[in-house]
Amino acid sequence: MKKGILTILVLLPFVAQLALLPFVNKIGPIVFGLPFFHFWLFLWIVLTPLCTYGIYQLQKSKGGLE
Amino acid sequence: MQGNLTALSITIFIILTVVLIGFLSGRDKKVRSSVEEWSVGGRRFGGLLVWFLVGADLYTAYTFLGLTSTAYTGGSLAFFAIPYSVLAFFISYFFLPKLWKVANHHKLTTLADYARERFDSKLLSILIAIVGVLMLIPYICLQLSGIQDTLQVAGTGFINVKVVVVTSFLLVALYTFFSGIKGPTYTAIIKDVLVWAIMLFMVVSLPMIHFGGWTPMMDRLVKDAPQLLTIPTDGPKGIPWFITASLVSALALFMWAHAATGVFTAKSADSIRKNAMFLPLYNIVLILVIFLGFIAFLVLPKGTDPRFALLTLIQSSYGGVAQGLAYATIALASLIPCSIMAIGASNLFANNIYRDWINPKVKPSRLTMITRGMVFVVIGLALLFGLVFPSALVSLQLLGVSGMVQIFPAIVISLFWKNQTREATIIGLLVGLATTFTVYGTGNSYGIYEGFWGLAANFLAVVVLNPLFVKKAKSNANPVKEFLFNKNQKEASLAKKGA
Repeated sequence: MKKGILTILVLLPFVAQLALLPFVNKIGPIVFGLPFFHFWLFLWIVLTPLCTYGIYQLQKSKGGLE
Repeated sequence: MQGNLTALSITIFIILTVVLIGFLSGRDKKVRSSVEEWSVGGRRFGGLLVWFLVGADLYTAYTFLGLTSTAYTGGSLAFFAIPYSVLAFFISYFFLPKLWKVANHHKLTTLADYARERFDSKLLSILIAIVGVLMLIPYICLQLSGIQDTLQVAGTGFINVKVVVVTSFLLVALYTFFSGIKGPTYTAIIKDVLVWAIMLFMVVSLPMIHFGGWTPMMDRLVKDAPQLLTIPTDGPKGIPWFITASLVSALALFMWAHAATGVFTAKSADSIRKNAMFLPLYNIVLILVIFLGFIAFLVLPKGTDPRFALLTLIQSSYGGVAQGLAYATIALASLIPCSIMAIGASNLFANNIYRDWINPKVKPSRLTMITRGMVFVVIGLALLFGLVFPSALVSLQLLGVSGMVQIFPAIVISLFWKNQTREATIIGLLVGLATTFTVYGTGNSYGIYEGFWGLAANFLAVVVLNPLFVKKAKSNANPVKEFLFNKNQKEASLAKKGA
């Protein structure tokens, strides 16, 4: 279970910021004053640290960090 | 184009203040007592200092001038810098703590040092050092043209721009020689505060001045220049380029000597993990700054030199004081990274070209002096190339990234792959470099980032050739391999340190 979450957290930033680009490469809808494409990139500036934080907590609870 | 005297005075005043602080941070003689003190601050920097230092590497003059000019000409392709730097820090979370531990345990100060110890290969260390220095000098040139363009806009008619550029770089070289990594660290704090304040000020005020606010600006962009707002789907650079450029640049970021220098200053693996977590937030300003290139597209007369897009926009929008603060910020964004880059390059040259190759028996005190003295050679070379062969901002840097990423298998994969051999790694590095230069030289990149072809060839060569040499590698034990892969040994050595 934990391993599954870990894998998802590791892959998510890559999938969102690279693989999904062809699907978010559009102007509308405009969100928070940004075209959708730029809003999407902005969103992941904030979400990527959350993924890293999640990975950090999971590793710490497993005792994987010396 | 006439400069503005108020703006120029403010710019020069701020540059001189920062240079002075650079000197003052070296008052304690200890900072230049050894290579480890001078180049990585004795590995005593906490999370916050590392944040400023590594952040200083990212926000260079290139970031502001290069990306806004790409946005001005190439539209949203410029935004590749966002996934690039977000992913660079994310990826770094998985290998930098490990690399830091090896470096800390074995007292290593450069990536080439690590490769030498990991593979018992001076040849590999020398190759990595040569690649590192060769790629860094154009990058320093890039900083140089950044400050040169800025001073040209600020000071035309008042000063001889070239003389001032040379003087300011010599001052930076001098304080770097004197204070080592402490110089750029303390000045990086000033630079970063200025960057956040001035860039946010510009992002808020420029749309207001020209369009009455952010939303009207966006309406204008959607109506008049929608082609700028998405990645182009036809033309030589499209989505495949964007994706591969982001990924390869992300893998390359910590292969740069100056980025590695920043990391090795950290006092613990945990401060590196926290930095990997929070550094992506730096891009909140960056993504908005790239939009300034779009503003330039809408308001500047057609035919403005793209290289000067941001600077001309500043000049035509603000009075003297705001201009001065903006120019000073960009000038510092070229001088301070330059100092860290010079430390990285000097360190590589002295440790891995001079000591590993030319004079293995050099005394530590003399090596320290040579490392420090190399700052003048590195900055001097950059000045020479920059003034004699000034070239376009972005293409130099792009080739640098493609070249630099070729050491990724030697530095990062080798942390995890026990049986990776020296021979396969060296051949892979050379194949990767040759492929990159061939693709770049012939211009046949098929819409994919050049470095991606190089890295693919590099990986392929390592994987295919490795089995040929693996027998020998298996029988060769060495302390770094033991430290990385022999768990009992690792725990014993950690217990001894009380970690």
